[in-house]
Amino acid sequence: MPLANPPAPQLTRTRAAVDATNLLRAYGSGEAQVVALRNVSVQFASGAFTAIMGPSGSGKSTLMHCLAGLDTVDRGSVRIGDTEITGLNDKALTRLRRDKIGFIFQQFNLLPTLTAEENILLPASIAGAKADPAWIGRVIATLDLADRLTHKPTELSGGQQQRVACARALATRPEVVFADEPTGNLDTRSSGEVLRFLRRSVDDFGQTIVMVTHDPSAAAHADRVVFLADGQIVEDLHRPTADSVIDTMRGFENRVPLAGEGR
Amino acid sequence: MLRATLKGMAARKARLILTSIAVVLGSAFIAAALVLTASIQATVDDLNGDAYAGADVIVQPVEPENRGDRLVRDGVSAETLAAIEANDDVASVSTTVTWMVNALGDDGKIVGGFAPTMAVNWGDESVERELREGRGPETAGEVAVSARFVTESGLGLGDTVEAYSLATDQTAYEIVGVFGYSGDRDSLSGATELAFTTAEAQRLVFDGEDVYTTVAVTGADGVSGDELLAALEPAVGDEAEALTWQAYVDDLNAETAEATSLIGYFLLGFGLIAVFVSVFLIANTFSIVIAGRLKEIAMMRAVGASRGQIIRSVLAEAGLLGAVASVVGAGLGVAAGAGLTSLVGNSFLDTASTSVAVPAAAPVAAVAVGLVVTVLSALLPAVRASKTPPVEAMREAVKADKPITGVTVTGLLVTLVGATGIVLGLTETFDGDKANLAAAAVGAGIVFVGVALLTAWLSKPVVALLGAVWSWSFAGRLGRLNASRNPRRTAVTAAALMIGVTLVTATATLLTSVKASLAEQFESSIKAELFITGPVTSSVPATFDPALMDDIRDADGVAAAVELYYDLAQVDGTEQYVNATTDLAGGIELFGGEVLQGTVADLEEGQTVVNEWSANELGIGVGDTVTMTFSRGSEAHEFTITGILADNEDTDGWYVDPSYAAEFYTPKPTTALVDVADGADVDEVTAEVESILADEPAVSVQNHEEYLAQVTVFFDYAVIAIQLLLALAMIVAVIGVVNTLVLSVLERTRELGMLRAIGMTRGQTTRMVTVESVTIALFGALLGIGTGLLLGWIVQQALVPSGIEEFAVPTALIAAYLGAAVLVGLLAAIAPAVRASKVDILGAISYE
Repeated sequence: MPLANPPAPQLTRTRAAVDATNLLRAYGSGEAQVVALRNVSVQFASGAFTAIMGPSGSGKSTLMHCLAGLDTVDRGSVRIGDTEITGLNDKALTRLRRDKIGFIFQQFNLLPTLTAEENILLPASIAGAKADPAWIGRVIATLDLADRLTHKPTELSGGQQQRVACARALATRPEVVFADEPTGNLDTRSSGEVLRFLRRSVDDFGQTIVMVTHDPSAAAHADRVVFLADGQIVEDLHRPTADSVIDTMRGFENRVPLAGEGR
Repeated sequence: MLRATLKGMAARKARLILTSIAVVLGSAFIAAALVLTASIQATVDDLNGDAYAGADVIVQPVEPENRGDRLVRDGVSAETLAAIEANDDVASVSTTVTWMVNALGDDGKIVGGFAPTMAVNWGDESVERELREGRGPETAGEVAVSARFVTESGLGLGDTVEAYSLATDQTAYEIVGVFGYSGDRDSLSGATELAFTTAEAQRLVFDGEDVYTTVAVTGADGVSGDELLAALEPAVGDEAEALTWQAYVDDLNAETAEATSLIGYFLLGFGLIAVFVSVFLIANTFSIVIAGRLKEIAMMRAVGASRGQIIRSVLAEAGLLGAVASVVGAGLGVAAGAGLTSLVGNSFLDTASTSVAVPAAAPVAAVAVGLVVTVLSALLPAVRASKTPPVEAMREAVKADKPITGVTVTGLLVTLVGATGIVLGLTETFDGDKANLAAAAVGAGIVFVGVALLTAWLSKPVVALLGAVWSWSFAGRLGRLNASRNPRRTAVTAAALMIGVTLVTATATLLTSVKASLAEQFESSIKAELFITGPVTSSVPATFDPALMDDIRDADGVAAAVELYYDLAQVDGTEQYVNATTDLAGGIELFGGEVLQGTVADLEEGQTVVNEWSANELGIGVGDTVTMTFSRGSEAHEFTITGILADNEDTDGWYVDPSYAAEFYTPKPTTALVDVADGADVDEVTAEVESILADEPAVSVQNHEEYLAQVTVFFDYAVIAIQLLLALAMIVAVIGVVNTLVLSVLERTRELGMLRAIGMTRGQTTRMVTVESVTIALFGALLGIGTGLLLGWIVQQALVPSGIEEFAVPTALIAAYLGAAVLVGLLAAIAPAVRASKVDILGAISYE
């Protein structure tokens, strides 16, 4: 089912949930040095759904990891909300991830020992905090997980598992949710469900989402698509459609002498 | 295929090392036990070889055939000695007069613990003594002492030492010399020595008779040992026996070999327990490693490897690992055995020069056991691996555990079979002690396996229960959940720990029950409140002056007091315990005995009383006569039985009038019972009796509790010794816990990465792993305690007919085991927890 026209997000007036300036990230040294990010500056507006695209090795995953405080940058600055995260120690970064960031992984990464509900409450449990039951209830209802709460991950389908993972990411109402190829392991139908939920969480809950993907139709659910190639931002597409994403990819693939995924 | 196996092994070094530690330890213990046993034997042989070095023939008294356990020594007479000296083939003769004595240290207490104190004649050449200070004794009132005696007694040159034997009263001697032994030793195997003049030594050992313990003869030039032996035969006659020096040393060696081989079996037993524990560990590690490689194995199956090839591949890996690890273990074991030998040599034998003997059996057995155990342990995981369907290669890994119903049912059956074996063995269903013992031991082994199989089933409820303790912490809850997520793995890991704990708990329970039963019997049968007795570890029984008994009977608050002399005498040609007391009727009363027939009052000379069982054994009754020859007596006495006592452990034996005590092993009483009058203050009476015995430092006044503690002190030592040895099995088990945790952490890298990514701190990660570890360890300890109590109870029940009627739980020890389990869990968690907390988040959550 094609999406109904999303209400036009007013990007320019919204403050940035994530603000990256002049990010430089290189691995190795000397001859073997690989520069993953070359002076990347990008802002992700609060309450917006942004996709990051790019061919393998373009630096899109590195960018996300740096933004989420999982990887460190060699130069530049990353702000999550009001917090400058470059230079924070492991403890502070851990707390930041716990309180201000939600994660959705390609492999779902649920704890097999916990039920769906316990997995959803995991971030709050780790923080030793009590989750807001009204909010959790709303997230669960939106994701249609109410009758799956007592199930263990092994008893759930891939789509259901990823929906539990989505609920977990939103449970603490984080400043931003980073989704790393969230539909990479799902069939078309489940992918659609997950993407529609991400869309709704932005529209209905004002959630900020940054999603790394290589799937143009997934990217089409976003408000904006940032294209990376060779460690640099090469395109910035607003209100994408699957076709415009594909066109853009073809366009910059011709300019950049890197082997793309050619989709 | 082999190449793939080798490459695979190289890629998993850490896991291989963890697995091989178990094999190394098991093999090492076996090799060490064998080397230690052989080396102690070799060292003792060397020491034995030093005895009478240079002598050709040794003459010693004939030991009566039926008096192997005799308490009093016979000697070689002066006439025989003179005849030997008169022989033309004899160049020189050296005499030895020696036996145990009691000497008092500077604290007035008897010197020495388990090692004896010996009296010897100065001039004895049985060993090489080296004077360090002063001189040898020249008069009856002088003594030279060994260096070890100086350190143990606190006395030194110029001091006076009080000493007495069974034959003599306490006598003061002046210490005129201090000596050591060749090789700069302070003692011979830890014993202390007092060297007197030959006459004084004969007074102490032989009650003044001019006889000798041994006579060592050196032949004239050109006379061989055998020729000398033949030449001396007529002089020695029937009174003594002569044997060549070599035969004498061979006899000594054979005697000590019995003791050392016993130690060897003991150590080997514990080595086998360690190996048994490592079977669990190895099997578990292989299971986990293979579980982590299912995809790889499925891929190999998919590209055409047969099931047999998979099994062979796993077994080849196990074989290679077992070979390398057991060779390393054998090497370490031989080294440890050699190291322990010098430790034992220094601390127990007091010899600096130890001989290390490495029997071929040591490395061979160690390698064989290590290799076989490793391959057998890997067999089950290998077969399971081969059953991996090729399609697994394409699937995502998360798989539900297989049901454990089959294992549980098998476990129950096996446990029942084992328990049946124990019960049959202990109730002596089979013919012969060995068969019964074997049935019980094999049964116990089978029970272990059964309970180990049941652990998977038990782990869910028990771990959940344990988990309640941690539920306040979320990290703790996750740890507890992790501990129960793979019941088989947790179970096997815990089972390894269980074995050691079971054995110590069972032993401790049994010994505690024995103690409690003794105490109960004691309390219910013995009416006397106080005991007068010496330490159980003294060289000769502590005795006291019987004249003091009258003072004790006259003391305020004493209702009755009965003294006891005892002897191991020949009664109608059989060895029997014979007691003497001035007040037999009173003694029977105080000991809670019962007279069945005849009378026990006022035993006169030539009259005796005996318990029913002993009388039946000889087929005699009241009015019949028996002959008795006492330890020190040379002639037999005739006795008429006047009374029969009911069988009662406290009063069993023969009773005669104390006028015979002079011929007893202990001519003076060794024990007395004091019955405190009703209403009298026990503490006051104790003090009163103590003051009467002020000049008898060897004995003390004890109440029931003190007396029991002293009598049962050996049980405490036994428990400690067994716990020390089983600590090794525990170490193997700890490695098992570490192994399981490290492998689990490796398996869960992605999960740990996710948890860290979404905000779990390093501290929380550490706590999570630690709780998992402690939970597994506590689970193992609880299983072990449960099984141990059960085994202890079964054995105790089987021993009820032998008087072990009480079942007692060693609560303090059990609490200590639980504490130790927590400690084990904490220690085992360190490495895996650090590893988990340092997991590379990016690496863990990346999926390429």
